[in-house]
Amino acid sequence: MDQERLYALLAREMAGELTAEEANTLQQLLQQYPDASYIREVFAQNWVPAGKQYGPSQVQQLLEKHQLRLQAASLPEETPVTDIAPPRKVWKLYTAIAASLLVLVSLGAWFLRQRPAQKPAPLAQLVTAKRMRSQILLPDGSRVWLNAGSKLDYPEQFAPHSPREVHLEGEAFFIVAADAERPFRVYTKAFRVHVLGTSFNVRAYPLEDSAVASLVQGAVEVILNNDSKQVVALRPNEKLTIPVHPVTTEATTAAPIPTMAALQKSKLTLVQDSIIPETAWVQNKLAFKHLELEKVVVMLEEWYGVKIDFRNNNKRKLYFTGVFETESLEQVLNAMENTQSFTWEKDNTGKIWIR
Amino acid sequence: MRKDEQIKSLFQRVCCDDNIQAYNELYIALCTRLIHFSASIVSSFHLAEEIVSDVFIALWQKRNDLLHVENPVVYLYVSTKNLSLNTLQQQKRHQHHALDHINPDMLSIAPEAENGMVSAEVSQKIERAIRSLPARCQVIFRLIKQDRLSYREVATLLNISSKTVDAQLTIAVKKISQAIRFDLSDEVAQTFLRIDS
Repeated sequence: MDQERLYALLAREMAGELTAEEANTLQQLLQQYPDASYIREVFAQNWVPAGKQYGPSQVQQLLEKHQLRLQAASLPEETPVTDIAPPRKVWKLYTAIAASLLVLVSLGAWFLRQRPAQKPAPLAQLVTAKRMRSQILLPDGSRVWLNAGSKLDYPEQFAPHSPREVHLEGEAFFIVAADAERPFRVYTKAFRVHVLGTSFNVRAYPLEDSAVASLVQGAVEVILNNDSKQVVALRPNEKLTIPVHPVTTEATTAAPIPTMAALQKSKLTLVQDSIIPETAWVQNKLAFKHLELEKVVVMLEEWYGVKIDFRNNNKRKLYFTGVFETESLEQVLNAMENTQSFTWEKDNTGKIWIR
Repeated sequence: MRKDEQIKSLFQRVCCDDNIQAYNELYIALCTRLIHFSASIVSSFHLAEEIVSDVFIALWQKRNDLLHVENPVVYLYVSTKNLSLNTLQQQKRHQHHALDHINPDMLSIAPEAENGMVSAEVSQKIERAIRSLPARCQVIFRLIKQDRLSYREVATLLNISSKTVDAQLTIAVKKISQAIRFDLSDEVAQTFLRIDS
């Protein structure tokens, strides 16, 4: 019976449930059964799963996969076209407008176009108007959120064994489905991005003086469209800002030739919680961190579809940080005005002036 | 030895401070244990990885409502158990009220062979001894030995008494001890006994 007692005490010792009194009893029993100390030592060893095992690198992969799933779960539900930030009171009015725009956009979206050269694969195009955003699932399972006033060209079917290529004008957030055989490439005027499986944001509006690639997860390479074809590798939570000559309405030939010196690689930083300003738009949030008022104003113009200008140019370089979700333009401007650093007014054409 | 305090502090930082770094560390600290546990219920590692990921997604989404959770480890195990059973129910379209169809192969553990203490032969003998135990007994052994849960935590998770946990664990220890005690002629064991005495 002493043996039964020994097993019970070895079990409790392993579970960390041994009392001081039981520890004494165990010591005595171990002297009685010297071979039991070997068994005791075996139980004290580090054991490993006999079947499937996850090593540190697999755990890292699990974490990355989980982060993508978390991100996808935190994003708004899939809707073909979303209307941005209309205050809830006038919802009905906007439904009518949204419905008619939806028809227009869908006509544009599924408009097929033959590519001039080699590839016969039919192209599809998704276009978003100002104040509109859209989300699509590409044929390979990759998901794309297209921000306002943007255009994405993609083939209806990606060819097997060759890179998956899409062309972007404007801003989009990508969660790319992994496929080692077919790397994913995003082409813009200023650069192209090579991807394996990852999530990242590309901002390349033709009227802006810089193009930005921001990486949230995975790894991408950004290849500039200048003579040097310079390659810049991005790591998670880094962004690359490339100065370009904005395309003016008259001169469409102005080629974007960034100089290496002006390239700027920086870290993505959180505004609050888990909100990264570069990708907040995907979650229907307007976010900016330590940003000059003149740039905030451009975001507000896009977001609310209004015109904003400065009466007092000194105010352009004021810095602001903020996150907004359902607030109206007036609420946003009032909140910023509360810092006592500027005032704003609306003229009778609806244009907003900052002074 | 036990990392309970560290896990509690990570959990607190997730729930009170919305700290994503702590959240990632918590995932790394617990994911494989929970995946093995879930796999024993749904009989698939692939499915178990998704279930545990869903458990952690729910944790992030509900984090501000979880300040009252006293034992984060048990909370995550119970969530994993419930979600695994739900998944099984959806898949097989019949009721699983309890852990009655557990697949202990997913939970099998053994001492690391050739670490100086245990030969590959002894390690295999232990593995066989564990596999010969009743499923519930195997689960309890795994949760105590590998996952380092306490009697009370296992009791809560499996809806049994601490006494039952103690009795089942003793059965496992006895079975394993008997499997290797005839092996004291084993060279490695002999060396050890000589050093010890």
